[in-house]
Amino acid sequence: MLEMEQYTCTNCPMGCPLQLTHEGENILEVFDYQCNRGLKYAKQEFSDPRRSLSTTVAISHARWARLPVKVSAPIPKDRVIEAAREIHQLQIESPVKRGQVLMSNFLGEKDIEVVALRSMERIS
Amino acid sequence: MLGRMEGKYDVVVIGGGPAGMGAALGARDSGSERVLILDREPDPGGILLQCIHSGFGLHYFKEELTGPEYAERFLENVIDQEVDLLSNSYVSGISYDSSGSKGVHVMNEKYGLSTVETKSVVLSMGCRERTRGAIRIPGTRPSGIITAGLAQKFVNMKGVLPGKRVAILGSGDIGLIMARRLVLEGCEVVGVFEIMPYSNGLTRNVVQCLEDFEIPLHLSTTVAYIHGKDRVEKITVAPVDEKLKPDMNRAWDIPCDTLLLSIGLIPENELSQSLGIKLDLLTGGPQVNSTLETSMPGVFTCGNVLHVHDLVDFVTRESLLAGQFAGEWAQGVRRPNDNIRLLPGNNVHYCVPHSLSPEREHTIYMRCQKPMKPCRLHIGDLKQKKLRFVVPAEMIMVKVKPELLEKFRGDTLRIDILPAEEKTD
Repeated sequence: MLEMEQYTCTNCPMGCPLQLTHEGENILEVFDYQCNRGLKYAKQEFSDPRRSLSTTVAISHARWARLPVKVSAPIPKDRVIEAAREIHQLQIESPVKRGQVLMSNFLGEKDIEVVALRSMERIS
Repeated sequence: MLGRMEGKYDVVVIGGGPAGMGAALGARDSGSERVLILDREPDPGGILLQCIHSGFGLHYFKEELTGPEYAERFLENVIDQEVDLLSNSYVSGISYDSSGSKGVHVMNEKYGLSTVETKSVVLSMGCRERTRGAIRIPGTRPSGIITAGLAQKFVNMKGVLPGKRVAILGSGDIGLIMARRLVLEGCEVVGVFEIMPYSNGLTRNVVQCLEDFEIPLHLSTTVAYIHGKDRVEKITVAPVDEKLKPDMNRAWDIPCDTLLLSIGLIPENELSQSLGIKLDLLTGGPQVNSTLETSMPGVFTCGNVLHVHDLVDFVTRESLLAGQFAGEWAQGVRRPNDNIRLLPGNNVHYCVPHSLSPEREHTIYMRCQKPMKPCRLHIGDLKQKKLRFVVPAEMIMVKVKPELLEKFRGDTLRIDILPAEEKTD
């Protein structure tokens, strides 16, 4: 059965509305894209939509109560909230260096890590 | 060196955000030896430290970084260049004598109230958020009404949530990004309300911060009344007519305990005004010549205190340039006055700088008043550029070569954005 999905391209501020037709998992055609980035975007959004994620974790003995962290690579869109909940379990002790790996093998995906976004020195 | 302020300086930079750090690097690049940054916050980096989302650095570092990463990497460059940097330092004024030498009055825990002598100054104090008073929302005055950027600092740095059930007025990027942050931190976001018929934020943020989390965006709608005695209890929202007046017959109530405001930014120019520096009413920042020098000789400016930018990479580019000129000024370089004034014309809200010189190549930064597509940018009769679209949320940049300006005989160059169909003669 032929079905249609709608997306808004996020590559540039034009925000082109895109249409994608498919039969099951089979992409048939993409409509209304103004450039190749739009075409690629619609296909990616249909087959494997991913998002980057930044959040914070608790840190003790530091100037601030929260340490900002990010997931090192985009993760599946439908697992973003679950990922944020899991990261929130972390309790970090200062000092921390920017880029320090706080969790590895994140969400069971190898090569995906949770890393510190900044250094924080120890303050007693 | 961090925490040091010693002797006389060539360039003193006020503000240690991305603009200040960029200006300090630019000043060192120009050959100035003695450069000092004064910053009022405990950590340098400015607002980048609370902007934990990615999307910074694609132009400057050629990779996508988050705000804290951009700030820390930039700071490492500043320290490598032997720039002095003093945190927790508040600048209260600047004095100058007839020789052009300046004294920056600064309050700091270690040095007390002192005056640091310098040849040139860069103002890079950034901007602050508009508050409820700026748009006079009717209603009671309960707690729970805060600006989106302040909420961002609470959530991302202090670990404090502003409330549980949150409405957001204004669709600027900070508001959109906070909508997502608050959902990820466990709040309920009941909706984003935007008085204009289009979003003021990037499409990417509308999709990834609102649509992904099924947060409704109500365009042409505003908050007409705030209810609640001690704490916000509910808001009345209403669609607006063409004159942006709320239509109370179609209004409805939304229970919530918090209202976030993301309704624009104002360059923070109290210090500039106390010096008598001339401001541009459209940008809210100082008027500058093509070297980014203000009306006070030897005082330069860059970043969001000059005009509000969309991207930190553009701030960096502008700041490196301002620092370069400030450094040259400190070394005694004096340039002839600019002889071409820029005038914002059709659908141009403002342009920076305010004047040009045929001596060098320039980048003119500007913002349109309303969306238009497709259209054509006219730099007087000198140059035309086709643009697929313009929106107020996106800054427009255009380069102008000196050869073009040499041919120009007038003293005022008008900039227009016209629909592409229209031809000018």
